[in-house]
Amino acid sequence: MYTLYFKIAIRYLLKNKLYSVINILGLSIGVASFILIMVYVNYERSYDSFDGSEDVYRVYMDYKQGDTFVPGDAQTYNLTGPTIKNKFPEVLEQVRLYKFDEVVFTYNNKIFKEKDGALADPSYFDIFKYPLLKGDLNSVLQEPNTIVLTQNLATKLFRDENPIGKDIVAFSAGNEVLLRVTGIMNNVPKTTHMKTNFLISYATIHTWDTFGNYYREPNWNQNHFFTYFKVDKNTNIDALKSKIIAWDFQGNFRERHNIESLEDIHLYSNKPYEAEVNGSAVRVKFLTAIAIVILVLAWLNYINLSTTKSLERTKEVGIRKVAGAQRAQLGIQSVIESMILNFGAILLAICISIFVLSIYNKATGSELALTVETIKQLSPVIAIVILAILLVSLYPAWVLSSYSPSKALKGKIRASANGLHIRKGLIITQFLATIVLVMSTIVITKQINHLQNQPLGTSLNNIIAFSGELLTKKDAVLEKKYEVMKNEIMKLPYVTHVVTSNTFPGDGFGNLSSSVGITYPDGTQDDHNVNYSYEVNNPEYFEMMDMKFVAGSTFLPNHKEKNQQVVINEKMAQMIGISNPKEGVGKKIKFWNEEWNITGIVKNYHHFGLKASVIPIIIRYSKVDNYMLVKFDTTITSASGYTQAITQIENVWKQTFPESTFDYTFVDKQFDAQYDDDRQFNKVFRAFTILAICIAALGLFGLTSYTCVQRKKEIGIRKVNGASIFKILKLLNIDFIKWIGIAFVIAIPIAWYAMNSWLENFAVKTTISWWIFVLAGIVTLVITLLTVSWKSFVAASGNPVNVLRDE
Amino acid sequence: MLVQLKNISKWVNSGGQKTFLLKDVDLWVHEGDFISIMGPSGSGKSTLLNIIGMLDNFNEGEYTFLEESVHSLKEKHRANLYKQYIGFVFQAYHLIDELTVKENLEMPLLYKKHSSSERKSLVADMLDRFNIVGKKDLFPSQLSGGQQQLVGIARALIASPKLILADEPTGNLNSKQGDEIMEIFTELNKDGVTIIQVTHSEKNAGYGSRIINLLDGKIE
Repeated sequence: MYTLYFKIAIRYLLKNKLYSVINILGLSIGVASFILIMVYVNYERSYDSFDGSEDVYRVYMDYKQGDTFVPGDAQTYNLTGPTIKNKFPEVLEQVRLYKFDEVVFTYNNKIFKEKDGALADPSYFDIFKYPLLKGDLNSVLQEPNTIVLTQNLATKLFRDENPIGKDIVAFSAGNEVLLRVTGIMNNVPKTTHMKTNFLISYATIHTWDTFGNYYREPNWNQNHFFTYFKVDKNTNIDALKSKIIAWDFQGNFRERHNIESLEDIHLYSNKPYEAEVNGSAVRVKFLTAIAIVILVLAWLNYINLSTTKSLERTKEVGIRKVAGAQRAQLGIQSVIESMILNFGAILLAICISIFVLSIYNKATGSELALTVETIKQLSPVIAIVILAILLVSLYPAWVLSSYSPSKALKGKIRASANGLHIRKGLIITQFLATIVLVMSTIVITKQINHLQNQPLGTSLNNIIAFSGELLTKKDAVLEKKYEVMKNEIMKLPYVTHVVTSNTFPGDGFGNLSSSVGITYPDGTQDDHNVNYSYEVNNPEYFEMMDMKFVAGSTFLPNHKEKNQQVVINEKMAQMIGISNPKEGVGKKIKFWNEEWNITGIVKNYHHFGLKASVIPIIIRYSKVDNYMLVKFDTTITSASGYTQAITQIENVWKQTFPESTFDYTFVDKQFDAQYDDDRQFNKVFRAFTILAICIAALGLFGLTSYTCVQRKKEIGIRKVNGASIFKILKLLNIDFIKWIGIAFVIAIPIAWYAMNSWLENFAVKTTISWWIFVLAGIVTLVITLLTVSWKSFVAASGNPVNVLRDE
Repeated sequence: MLVQLKNISKWVNSGGQKTFLLKDVDLWVHEGDFISIMGPSGSGKSTLLNIIGMLDNFNEGEYTFLEESVHSLKEKHRANLYKQYIGFVFQAYHLIDELTVKENLEMPLLYKKHSSSERKSLVADMLDRFNIVGKKDLFPSQLSGGQQQLVGIARALIASPKLILADEPTGNLNSKQGDEIMEIFTELNKDGVTIIQVTHSEKNAGYGSRIINLLDGKIE
């Protein structure tokens, strides 16, 4: 009997090709979108989870901002970890990590520039359970001048040689050290906020000149260390957190320690001095919402189409009843049909997902994968949906089989009023979801454009930041060499400025100093606010960056207290109580136990991009050479022009420092890269909105093509009686317009609320203007009318005789 | 006695008034009868046939089928009754479009708990008997009207019913095809199957042993 059901179902699907294609396609696009988004969401949520990760916490600093504490620094003091371990018995083990920006290794005269490495306490492997492949777990990282490499890096450095016991040279900030490889660890997965390619023993801090005393000596002054600890399984973590917050670690009321779960860092932490730019929980939530909306849309579509279409099969149900079928048997058949269609669609969806993922991974170098695990994880959701679909598929069979066979055979069953209400509700819900998505897409696009068109207060075009690692010992004439090189580069025809500094706008927090505690020009002591500062070696910096002075001027090279000069921004001026900038020039501020002369005040500019608001900033006049910023004039217009110019600069660099590495980055591009995540979010959101619209349109198309068939006799009779094509189109389309109207009204507050909460992420927000809603409404209306009219026009313009002849 | 109808009435309410489809109909059918029901459109022929076939309910009267009083039976029992004893033939054939000839014939058996081998032999018998073995894998749309009706009759007969109810079985056929169908009915009747047919055609009515004329829901 079941084989027969299968046969009928498959033949029915083959016979009604349009219906089947629309249904399967709509469903599989919906399910595939759901799977794809959830694969990404799962990836984002899988960060830093390993065996025992739920018991690991990171310590961070809260700073007092006005009267409240705010997260101020992801990094802590070198005393933090050991002290916490001693003081709180719940803490079983702690590890301190000092993360390097970049270390240059040389081995066998080959040079390897490596990011993602850290100094680490030997307890590292007690907390982060990444397997050690070679080496002794008990002794690894104990001795100074030892290093553990990941397998990838070991292969890169040593190829087929056995790395254990080999010595390599490491350079950081011009200081070299000899390191012995004592361990090889498994590659650390990409899903961690602390990307790691190598670990150097913490004890090396005392032997490597790149670390000054303020790193080495135990202190509560310099926070450069990420601190993680592991607690006992039964620890009451809230209680421990309160204890740590209340812990007065150095009689310092300006700051306190706080903790957060390791697993939460990637999505929920966005503090200054993070190890990397983290993900965003809001983004993940929005994407999850879209995934569910699309799945539900596809599902509504299916229900709508299949219930409508099933009314067509009254005759068959009648015949079956006459032949002796019972209601249950009729039900089973319709369930089997739904199952075939749905499982077909899901299989197709899985294929689509795998295909899309492989393309995406290739294009972006990601490692998103649809694993059996993911499918298992998603299956409850999909199972619920399928179950619901099966229940819904019983409904028409149930309704149809309740009619007496004689009526069913005449095919005189029309949808009941109830059924119509349900369908109306379904379509309105569909429109609602579509309109909300369209509105959101417009707002997101508008916001991204808004960000890009904001005045930054600085101009970063044509500026390139050069940096490199000197692979020789620092010598006394280094500074002179720099000056010579800068002059050489300045002589190049297209170079307008050469400046050295320790950071630049868009470089992030990493090279910025922060401190709490500053004395205002009027003598007020401020222990509440964080101030940020960086160093610049040349007065031309402000001219190069196109930062405008509202008062005063740039540093004076011939000033008697040359190195005590600062330029501040307006925000800083405000903070330290300077209401009239003109009066601020020449005033002194005090921090780090030193006095600083304000030589000028520049207009506010965005050092961190526009997601954050402008921060108070101090720029100090100091000898630094982390970055060499070079500005080109506008005569270079092509990419090859830039390449040539950069090669010339590299030549000068290599002449000056024959043994060195050489890197460069376009400052404007790096600044812009801060929005990459948002831009990508926008793209993804738009793509899935378009998909959602396609699914909805597909459903509408199916529905109208079916109603047109159902109402063809009515249309014919109306035409014979003189109705124009337009009148008939109106008759067929008016309902949809009504439904869109209802959906539109409900959509406005939902979209407004959703977008408002998304914009909370940005310091600079676009306005949610009224025209966004209107535009979204019009877009939906136009797409709907086009979809619907395609079929209804054919129906309306047909010759009525052809239709009526059938009767 | 196979069928006994006493004072059967059926009406619909329209505008607060009863419109009678059937009024006080009395009818006896013995096993082996071949009855033709005639009458103009709207006289209630099909309604009467549907009531006899238990596809439709009536409002008043008594209906006894093989000593069972149908009017007091539950829907499920009624369905079992007609499943077992009655075969239907329709004017529009009512074959399932998605099934082949063979599968259409097999379909009623699926609802009656026959084993697979039993079903196969019954279907083979029917295909043989009606000379449509060569058509067994075709779909209804690939057959002529006459052939479709042959399949329809074969399907009605497959579960060996005592009674065949035919609602204008030749209504959609040309006269030659119609004659063939009527010949088959005559044959079946000779083999002992009771037949009640509704027809417009005097000639076809002539094949039957008894003619009942209906007018405005009453037997004349």
